[in-house]
Amino acid sequence: MFYRLSGVHHANYVSDSRIFKVPADRNLAIFVFLFGLAAPFLLPSLYLNSYMLPWLIWTAAALGLNLVTGWAGQLHLGYAAVMAVGAYSAIHAARFGVPWEFALIIGGLASSVIGSLFAFAALRVKGLYLALTTLAMQFVMDWVLTHSPAISGGSHASLQSPTLALLGQDITSDTGYYYVAFGWCLLVTIFMLNLKRTGLGRALVAVREKDFAAAILGVNSFYYKILAFAASSFIAGVSGALLVATFFFLAAPEQFSVAVSIQVLAMVIVGGLGSIIGSYLGVALILLVPGLVNGIVAGGSQSLGMQINVETLAHIPNAVYGALIVIILLIEPLGLGKLYGNIRDYLMVWPFDQLRK
Amino acid sequence: MTNRQTAISTSEGAILECRGIERRFGGIVAVTGVDLVIQPQEIFGLVGPNGSGKTTLTNAITGFYPPNVGTIRLAGEDITGTAPHKVAKLGVARTFQNLALFNGMSVLDNILLGRHIHMNPGIFHTAFYWLTAKREEIENRKIVEEVIEFLQLESIRHELVDGLPIGLKKRVELARALVAEPQMLILDEPMAGMNQEEKGYMSRFILDARAERGVSVLLIEHHMDVIIGICDRMLALNYGEMIASGIPKEVVKDPRVIEAYVGGSHG
Repeated sequence: MFYRLSGVHHANYVSDSRIFKVPADRNLAIFVFLFGLAAPFLLPSLYLNSYMLPWLIWTAAALGLNLVTGWAGQLHLGYAAVMAVGAYSAIHAARFGVPWEFALIIGGLASSVIGSLFAFAALRVKGLYLALTTLAMQFVMDWVLTHSPAISGGSHASLQSPTLALLGQDITSDTGYYYVAFGWCLLVTIFMLNLKRTGLGRALVAVREKDFAAAILGVNSFYYKILAFAASSFIAGVSGALLVATFFFLAAPEQFSVAVSIQVLAMVIVGGLGSIIGSYLGVALILLVPGLVNGIVAGGSQSLGMQINVETLAHIPNAVYGALIVIILLIEPLGLGKLYGNIRDYLMVWPFDQLRK
Repeated sequence: MTNRQTAISTSEGAILECRGIERRFGGIVAVTGVDLVIQPQEIFGLVGPNGSGKTTLTNAITGFYPPNVGTIRLAGEDITGTAPHKVAKLGVARTFQNLALFNGMSVLDNILLGRHIHMNPGIFHTAFYWLTAKREEIENRKIVEEVIEFLQLESIRHELVDGLPIGLKKRVELARALVAEPQMLILDEPMAGMNQEEKGYMSRFILDARAERGVSVLLIEHHMDVIIGICDRMLALNYGEMIASGIPKEVVKDPRVIEAYVGGSHG
């Protein structure tokens, strides 16, 4: 049903290497794209700004982390620090008078350089040791940010972001911010979709799965690990800069603290390592579900006439959201992306599922 | 040692030439004084009991454990101590005794990885797929498809390698090695755990690979019938040392080889 494979024939290699081989997948992607494009006209600006926009930017950031953790298999607990480098570099560049287009690229490149330093740790240590090393680097970054007024912007440790302007247009409206986020997320998504079907993606998976076997095929794992960190850090840097420029408007160290690093990692793991749609779903769960549960609990208690005190009200969403993460990972350790894949695979053969291998 | 002379033979135009290879791990001498010359388009057998140093020798050639003493030349070029990924670029491909396919990837992607050294993957190729990578991917796909057809893997090309039976996995690994278009192909026990029919298929594939693709093969095997059947020459190792070399039919009659394998049958 829906995802029908019969009648789908690939008569040449170009057609067989399409991103979406099943028509239903392509139609779904087009629908989501059109919905994203039309969102400013469909959704009230409150939803657009406080839900859709952060969702898109965090998805771009999570996809960047997925590149290094999901594809190249390197645990990274200092991702927020890398985002901070990009955010602060871009904003300082913009404040200095550099056009925003270049400021964003400067932010991305600065992140790439710092992020590649993490890669040198990854070449020496693996697994939990790498997690700890990257965590240590996150703390170093935090310390540097909070202790150098020149970077973090004086005694209040906050840095005003100048007005965003792209292609000569000042961007000040909610719709404008949304489209910037949408465009960036789209670019990152296309990159990741291409990664799935090119030699770079295969080489990264090879390094993740068996580095000795990768070596005998001519894959230099040293080079590809650095490449993965550099590319993912670039995405992190630009995402961090856009987050400040379109959402926070004010850069502060706690926006990129260690808790944020863990949150992005949670988004990637709940969504599914190596899954693109999973990153979208994972970010939605981590970012949007707490607010949603909050609304449901508050609304429910009101309509039932129950008196719930403020403290309980604040704790229930956290408990529900924590339980949701545990339940999802128990049902499917490979995350929401795999869960979606299971449903899709089931529908593909329904109602003839007895024919499934 | 008279037998050693035949293994050395002439090194003129040899594809692979190992001289006096020694590799130690701490106090253990895994391989010592091994000379090996493989001529172009030769299928060369390497046998020996478990722990006799066969895999250590291949690891020395492919750069995982560079030899402590000795030199290795590939088509005249000294490759002693070269990193594995560079050895691969110079035209050495190998399969592993315990299989080294990448789980979670399809058969096709696994084999495409064999084309890595002929491709130019990078960030910009991926970002601007339609400009550059598309053509490259398609061209390499064509070459991969030739090998898929050659090894009769068409029906499973889109399946994940994780669940395949071992005979097919070994064949996928051979395909991955072949698409790299190597000069020298090292097969580490490609028929371990196979039945007679599968062994027959695999032997035929190795012979065809030489006939159609002109590769030279270093074949590690425990199945003596295969070694006698398809190898031009062979070398027997025991405790890291050469005990016999030459034409397979003669080597397997060598009392030292028989002693090493079955333990003093000539008593």
